[in-house]
Amino acid sequence: MSPDILDESSVIWFGPQHVSAHGWAAKLTIVGDYIVECDPNAGYFHRSAEKCLEFRNFRQGSMILERICMMEAFLAEYPYIAAVEKIVDLEVPERAKIMRTIMMEFNRIHSLQFWWGQFAGELGLFVMLLWPWVDREYSLDAFEELTGSRHTVSYATPGGVKYDFTPKFLAKMETALKLVKDRMPVFNDMLAGSPTFRLRTEGVGHYTAKQALKWGLSGPNIKACGIPMDLRKDDPDPNLAYDLIDWEVPVINNEEHPGESDAFDRLLQRFKEIETSLDIIEKLLPILPEGPIIDPKARSKTNRLPEGEGYGRVEGTRGVTSVWLKTMAKAQTPWRAKIRGPCFASYYSLKHIVPGARFADFPAIFGSLDPYPGWWDR
Amino acid sequence: MQFDVFTWLGGLWDWVIGVLLWLWGFLMWPFLWEGPFDFFAWFGGLWDWVLGIFLWLWGIVNWLIFWVVDFVNWIWFLVSLPENFMFLFRAIVFPGLIFILLALIFTVWYTRKIWARLQDRRGPMHMGKYGGLQLFADAIKLMSKEIIIPDKAKRWMYRILPSLLLVIVMLPFAFIPWDPYWNILGSPTSPFPDLSVSLVLVFAILTAVPVFSLLIGWVSGSKYSLIGGFRAANNQFAAEIPMVISSVGPAMLAGSLSLYSIVMAQTNIWYIVLLPINFITFFVAAIASVGTFPFDAPVADSEIIFGWRTELSGIYFTVVYFAEFAEQMLYSALMVTLFLGGFNGLPFLAGIVNFAIKWLVVFFLFIVVTSSFYRLRQDQVVHLCWKYLLPLSILNVVLVMFALVYIPGLVPLVIGG
Repeated sequence: MSPDILDESSVIWFGPQHVSAHGWAAKLTIVGDYIVECDPNAGYFHRSAEKCLEFRNFRQGSMILERICMMEAFLAEYPYIAAVEKIVDLEVPERAKIMRTIMMEFNRIHSLQFWWGQFAGELGLFVMLLWPWVDREYSLDAFEELTGSRHTVSYATPGGVKYDFTPKFLAKMETALKLVKDRMPVFNDMLAGSPTFRLRTEGVGHYTAKQALKWGLSGPNIKACGIPMDLRKDDPDPNLAYDLIDWEVPVINNEEHPGESDAFDRLLQRFKEIETSLDIIEKLLPILPEGPIIDPKARSKTNRLPEGEGYGRVEGTRGVTSVWLKTMAKAQTPWRAKIRGPCFASYYSLKHIVPGARFADFPAIFGSLDPYPGWWDR
Repeated sequence: MQFDVFTWLGGLWDWVIGVLLWLWGFLMWPFLWEGPFDFFAWFGGLWDWVLGIFLWLWGIVNWLIFWVVDFVNWIWFLVSLPENFMFLFRAIVFPGLIFILLALIFTVWYTRKIWARLQDRRGPMHMGKYGGLQLFADAIKLMSKEIIIPDKAKRWMYRILPSLLLVIVMLPFAFIPWDPYWNILGSPTSPFPDLSVSLVLVFAILTAVPVFSLLIGWVSGSKYSLIGGFRAANNQFAAEIPMVISSVGPAMLAGSLSLYSIVMAQTNIWYIVLLPINFITFFVAAIASVGTFPFDAPVADSEIIFGWRTELSGIYFTVVYFAEFAEQMLYSALMVTLFLGGFNGLPFLAGIVNFAIKWLVVFFLFIVVTSSFYRLRQDQVVHLCWKYLLPLSILNVVLVMFALVYIPGLVPLVIGG
């Protein structure tokens, strides 16, 4: 980049009022049609969730977390509960473990459905924006049947879960999942099978596995490079049921560029994530035992926690989501809480991925990384 | 009584002479006064002078009134000539302005409804039956909105350009042959026959559209608008040539550049049967030229907010929104004219009904195609148009040339009976 090219550059702010920048702003320096510099800015979505956690007790704290990212509410609230369960000794019943896992995988499917629509909408196909969102309504209906709320579900609680599965809920979940399974080939045709989609995404937003590791990417963004890095397998939470069944980490290997990924690979990776989630739910439902859904002493034990540190983490839809808690003896609230969202890394990696791309490719790049501003601003 | 400009002008000289004489008298009266100056006598003449001024003023008013009455009479005389009256009726009411506006309103509803069905929605539902009045409600809302003109905008241009764009887009409708008789220009019995080059004229007028998009983007004083304006110019740059060359095939088969003659030549066979690839290239190039969905880089909302329309608000946005739909309607009508036989069709239906049915079918195709593809990048638009559409359309022209020369029964078939 010679300095005289930059003389003709102009600066465009992509956000915070931009229609497809919901709660973030990137400063783009463009020369002609090409972006030469991308400066992602955080801070437009800050709601001081960490400070809020210091004023909530150990059963309320998870409700702050699910408001950070409502698309994956079950997954977002879980790290806090895992951290609490690390500090205090609770016996989570077998049934609750499996129910938590099922709901988390169900929520992962719902979040990815939302993402398909958003991504396709950013690439200019509104049919594909609305079709998955119509299907998503069935998932939301099932959530509502189980917990009474569609987005901020607050389902898991330290020591178990809050509500038991009802036959009506099971029927609704089956409807929703059957719809997902039936429509997968359709969406596969409309996304991966569409020639215009391939034109827009292939070779766009390209990075290697080494770069991804260096930037701290996780979740589908790194699995798309062929690295089977998945917390569900690598560090299974003792209070989740991932180790009870046999399943495989979803990883795609692109023959043309092994160890690298572009926007199209990341789409295929997310398709595979859905298949894996469906598989896990299918295998967990038959082994769901009868029994209690919560440790009977959970309520009294979580009023005041012993002094200690807890670190809970889970493989979210967008990557590793974790919460670190520091508690003091006889305190009703955490002394300090730290949230580590998956999207800070993917958002700031735009700085390295975007330069050299065309301006029109920018939505394809950030859409394929699936950044959600709640996760970096908290 | 007919107003004659030359007679009227001939009186001008007398008037000038009269004014000069009056001035002369006014200047010379102190010198022409005889005898000692009698103030009262002089003062007594004042009344005559005032009266003279009033008479002069009355003359002017009188003349003006007569002139206006004459002028109105003259216009009324022109209008009351049967052929003139029918022309005006056609231009303003039936296939003209009011018809086009009503069709435009229907088209917007039709588009939104079909888009909604394709997207698993219901579309407008509440205003009127099946949401038929939704557009009126939208129009009232948009017109009553505050008009915000950016500080950096060139205000005068910003105000005038959207309306000019709509006018330019509406003009070519005058050349569309809707019916054997009910046309604005082009019915054989009217004193305003179709121009022999109306096809070329339509394209010539439409070339101005991207200029307006670019100018609106330029004068809006926003970077998003400017980028959108350049992208609109880029789209037209890509799509114009394939589209014009695709329309050469029908013109060659009919042996005429007049749209009316091209339709009249399709009484035996519609040209879509002979030129299906030409139809498709024209269709794709038309979508690219309008700049709707697969080719909507000029207004790509996820990239440049709303492209060259970003800063438009209120009535200016309404006008530009209408212009886009009018352009789609125009291209659909051109496709019906060039490839689908225009008003030829079922013999027991009126020509305009035949035309309208085909028009709706083509518009339906438009909507289905515009809602099935992802947005192409602007370099991919040029790539598609110049690497695929242009060679195909040129090949078609060559094939038509050879076919006309070497296939014996073709010429009588394609020039109509």
